[in-house]
Amino acid sequence: MKRRKAAALFMALAMATGTLAGCGGAGNQPAAESKVSEPVEETAGAEETDDTQKESETGQADSGEKVNIKLFTGKIETIDVMNEIIESFNKSQDRITVEQEYQKDASNIIKIKFASDEVPDIMTTYEQGFVDEGKYMDISDQNEWWDRMSPDMKAACTDVKTGKTYRVCTNMTMAGFFYNKEIFNELGIEEFPGEWNEFVAMLEKIRTEKPDVVPWFIFGSEAWHLGHLIEFIPHGYVKSNLGTIEAKKAMLENDQEALKFADSDGPMAVFAGNMKELQDKGLINEDILTATNDNCVQDFVSGRTAMFSNGMWAISSVLEASPEMEDKIGFAPYPAYMQGSSPVVLSAEDSGYSISATTEHKEACIEFMNFLFLPENQQKYCEVAKAPSAFKDVTAKWAPEAVVSEVSAALDGAVNIGFTNEKPAGFSGDDAGRMLQGLFAGQYTPEQFAEAYTDAWNDGMGSAGDEEQ
Amino acid sequence: MKSRKIGLHQFMAVPAFALYAVFFIYPLLKGIGLCFTDWDGIKAAHFVGLRNFIDFFHDQRALSDIRTTVLFTLGSAPLLNIVGLVYALLMNSEFRGKSIARMCIYMPAIISPLIMGYIWYFLLQPGRGFLYHFFDGLGHPEWFGNWMGNYKSALLVIVLVNVWQYAGMTMVIYLAGLQGISRDLYEAARIDGARWVDGFLHVTLPLLGPSIRINVITNIIGSLSVFDIVMSLTGGGPGYQTETLSIYIMRMCYGSKTGYSVAVAIILFLIVLIPVAASSWLMRKKEED
Repeated sequence: MKRRKAAALFMALAMATGTLAGCGGAGNQPAAESKVSEPVEETAGAEETDDTQKESETGQADSGEKVNIKLFTGKIETIDVMNEIIESFNKSQDRITVEQEYQKDASNIIKIKFASDEVPDIMTTYEQGFVDEGKYMDISDQNEWWDRMSPDMKAACTDVKTGKTYRVCTNMTMAGFFYNKEIFNELGIEEFPGEWNEFVAMLEKIRTEKPDVVPWFIFGSEAWHLGHLIEFIPHGYVKSNLGTIEAKKAMLENDQEALKFADSDGPMAVFAGNMKELQDKGLINEDILTATNDNCVQDFVSGRTAMFSNGMWAISSVLEASPEMEDKIGFAPYPAYMQGSSPVVLSAEDSGYSISATTEHKEACIEFMNFLFLPENQQKYCEVAKAPSAFKDVTAKWAPEAVVSEVSAALDGAVNIGFTNEKPAGFSGDDAGRMLQGLFAGQYTPEQFAEAYTDAWNDGMGSAGDEEQ
Repeated sequence: MKSRKIGLHQFMAVPAFALYAVFFIYPLLKGIGLCFTDWDGIKAAHFVGLRNFIDFFHDQRALSDIRTTVLFTLGSAPLLNIVGLVYALLMNSEFRGKSIARMCIYMPAIISPLIMGYIWYFLLQPGRGFLYHFFDGLGHPEWFGNWMGNYKSALLVIVLVNVWQYAGMTMVIYLAGLQGISRDLYEAARIDGARWVDGFLHVTLPLLGPSIRINVITNIIGSLSVFDIVMSLTGGGPGYQTETLSIYIMRMCYGSKTGYSVAVAIILFLIVLIPVAASSWLMRKKEED
């Protein structure tokens, strides 16, 4: 009986201990790391560390001691190439071990990580709110990286508010219209139109002469895609009209006098009116609200659609679905849709890497990033990511030659716009996309859409503003 | 000796209590604290009093989401009970292939609702889905509409898919209740001249009281907090038209309105509590009568 009681007591104790054991981990971790990670005081620190600390999971930053670096990514397309590079790095020395963690919903998961003090050392996610909160390390002085980078990309990596840089973008990405050159040739369309009216006329020509072909395919079940249309077309106009830096400032300061989002003849209402016109005329796919990215790729490679809007990341899925498309893919800027404006094409920073401001392993992070940014590694990286390098000394075959020349021509012939990182934290691109879904579903008139968009934008800005009080 | 025994027994409850405290009480208290703040998940939280609760009642999107959630519940909870009960009555009778039929009805309940949603999405997709091709094969593609492209039909689709998935779960509870009713009662009723309907109304339904209560309550809770099936079928769209309160909470939480989202979660808790408490009280009262 006594033995049974003792066993029961032991089990209860073990379970209680086991249950609560995981609760204190995060809080203890920085304490263990903090003793060991300041590179300047390495020698003195090393003498004071005990064996337990040396064996701690995060390790020691002292030279000769083991250091574990956590790299957090949301970029599914680069998981394998990053694993390859990380493996080479880990083998190249025995002091630093890098581990990659991928999360599909990385931009949200990182918020949980910041809130629970489980911040990775290096991350690919980047948000203005975290910049404002000083969550990223200032890497403005990493001249060995910046000297190799194109000036445009360096500028794109620079925070407008502080003028400092908190991330390195290894690649550039472009977005515009991908079109089927074969269909265009058959219809005698020699040049992609630069003005909206001509663009609509071209879509009508496709509709009339090839009734089985959808002139412009929009996969509107995926809110991010519709969000991108807003980002590239009306936001693109704002950026081309005001200039990149002024547009960024206007967005950060929510200067509606400059942005004119709510105006009935402003960029939002005109854009919404244009989209409704295309829908009413049957120039976009009927199943816009339920169509997916896969549907778009399938229809494009099978010749059932003439064009779609997307970024360079779409090339790999198109070529995977049909390698013969290699010579048939055309690329063009978004036509000018406001009076006096110019065609625009996205030419933005991509694949950014930031270091946590609270990492205990700054030197180790930089050492790894030096390795990652080596030209031979970046070449591999670009070819997998299907995006040109942001580094001037990296030459990579990131897309078929025909596509590369199409993209170069588009970049030369249009205003190059960057990506908006200065959006309100409470109003994401997906939120904007869902509003556009509402427009296509008949929920708004173009004017109502512009007002609703402005309200949502102001609301997102307002919540951020309130928190700063 | 008795007091020592109680002490030991209490101590042995510590692991269970610790789990409950860590995974329920602590988050609940933390959540209650957060709902009075403007925490955005990034910056430090500031106390804002009841502002989040006041904002909720001025938030058109949130109010529209309540309407969608309540409409979904009004469609889903009664249908789940009716279909589940019909299935249970069928499964309680004798016929060949009963085991296979029971398995087929219950199987959807054990598949992830997210996966189920995606399967139905590809069945129902206009112009591309299986059902479209089926009607097209019959020569009537026009019979198939864009059912997920407008509010009313999308909501109906979500209700029906939810009922199809979870009716098996409801059936199991009803079946257990039915199997606990003595055959003698039906025998006695039949001797007294009762028809099948009389037996059902005056024997089966009253004795199924506890099963009905469990099913009604769990179905109301499940329907009011529906998330995954909507997320995978319509993503709350088009626009925000089929967005439910649970999806809204998730989007607000990650949309830099974390404190506000916790306040909405507490409001959802109260919204769930009211019909559950009311139906529980009504049914208990009826059973006592």
